Amino acid sequence: MLALRDLRLEWRGRAGLLSAFSFIAVVLFIMGIAFGPDEANLRRAGPGVLWVALAFAGSMLASRAWALEVENETLDDLLLTPGSREWIYVGKLLFLWLLMIVMGAFLLVLVAAWFYLPLAAWPQLFVTLVLGGTGYTVIAAFYAGLTVRLRARDVLLYLLVFPMILPVVLAAVKATLGIAFGAEFAEIVSWWKLLGVFDVVYLTLCVLLFPGVIEG
Amino acid sequence: MADPFVEVQNVWKRFGRQWVLRDLSLAVERGEVVALLGPNGVGKTTLLRVIATLIRPQRGTVRLFGKPARALEAERGRIALVANPPAFYRHLSGEENLEQALALAGRPIARAEALEAMARVGLPEGRAVAAYSSGMRKRLALARTLLARPQLLLLDEPETALDAGGREELVRVIGEVAREGAVVLATHDHGFAAEVATRSFAMGAQA
Repeated sequence: MLALRDLRLEWRGRAGLLSAFSFIAVVLFIMGIAFGPDEANLRRAGPGVLWVALAFAGSMLASRAWALEVENETLDDLLLTPGSREWIYVGKLLFLWLLMIVMGAFLLVLVAAWFYLPLAAWPQLFVTLVLGGTGYTVIAAFYAGLTVRLRARDVLLYLLVFPMILPVVLAAVKATLGIAFGAEFAEIVSWWKLLGVFDVVYLTLCVLLFPGVIEG
Repeated sequence: MADPFVEVQNVWKRFGRQWVLRDLSLAVERGEVVALLGPNGVGKTTLLRVIATLIRPQRGTVRLFGKPARALEAERGRIALVANPPAFYRHLSGEENLEQALALAGRPIARAEALEAMARVGLPEGRAVAAYSSGMRKRLALARTLLARPQLLLLDEPETALDAGGREELVRVIGEVAREGAVVLATHDHGFAAEVATRSFAMGAQA
């Protein structure tokens, strides 16, 4: 319910989505120019570019997920909703996750077009996107909630989120590289398993800790 | 004897190094309308937020409906806090805001109910809240209260920005809630407090 309402609000305002998509387009353009026309270079850089762009754009969206409440001063009303406050986190997480997956799919197509990522392997790429995107959004939604009342929340969000998501980004880049260079399926699966473990551990911790951190 | 509806005992709350509430105690019985009076900065809004379980005091206890406030997760829907100014989603219309608020509280309403409540407080339909005046926002908060039917209504300076008609409706809503529950309101207006409150609580003296 909360995720649907946030999607509706985002659709009416579109500020977060427009910023994130514009950011992605700019990053891809600059990186594409920087790595030059050499196919081998671009192929090697593609997975890194994909996940770096997704991580930064994801932080923008995570901040946006909570900024809706700050801009409208509705955080208190949300906290007064009956039921445990973990569900507020889960609602925000779902909202962010949906946006991340849509944005990630869009990004995959762009990176495939410019950085020679094999779109023929789209099921594997999509699994990596879902597992990596989940780990990322779990952390980003949590820290965005933690910093929502602070004035320097946007800066703090980057400082807090990036050290925590490093293992997720590394595993996701490794899995994507494996797919790009036709590695053994078992090797790709081993990175997926690692991402799955991160997702479960981070999700459990964030759900348990959230009610304590959101109160003033 | 039944437990008080609201029981705040020896509550201390500080922001940074500044103590806002010092050893404050207050009990509110069912049927009471208690007006918190006092100058700016004395902690009226903070006390409302402590009662609403939105902020945790450093010391002291808060019990609502006879239970510790922290154990009220499922019953938080019995509490309504109307901030000053009331908060709504600006991109949504008044009726959409009402529908969303009630749906999140687990009591979905039909569009007709939302429009009926808005008509009662004199609000037009189909207009985004961004285009509302302060008084219209207050009226929309009244409509939300009417639909939510809380047992404990917490109001922060509810009379400000309301015209005579809005003020009359506010008095009626306070009376309706107090019949089954209790109302705690923060105000600077002693005349308004005398008009609606069954008891006043001077905060400068306690804090």
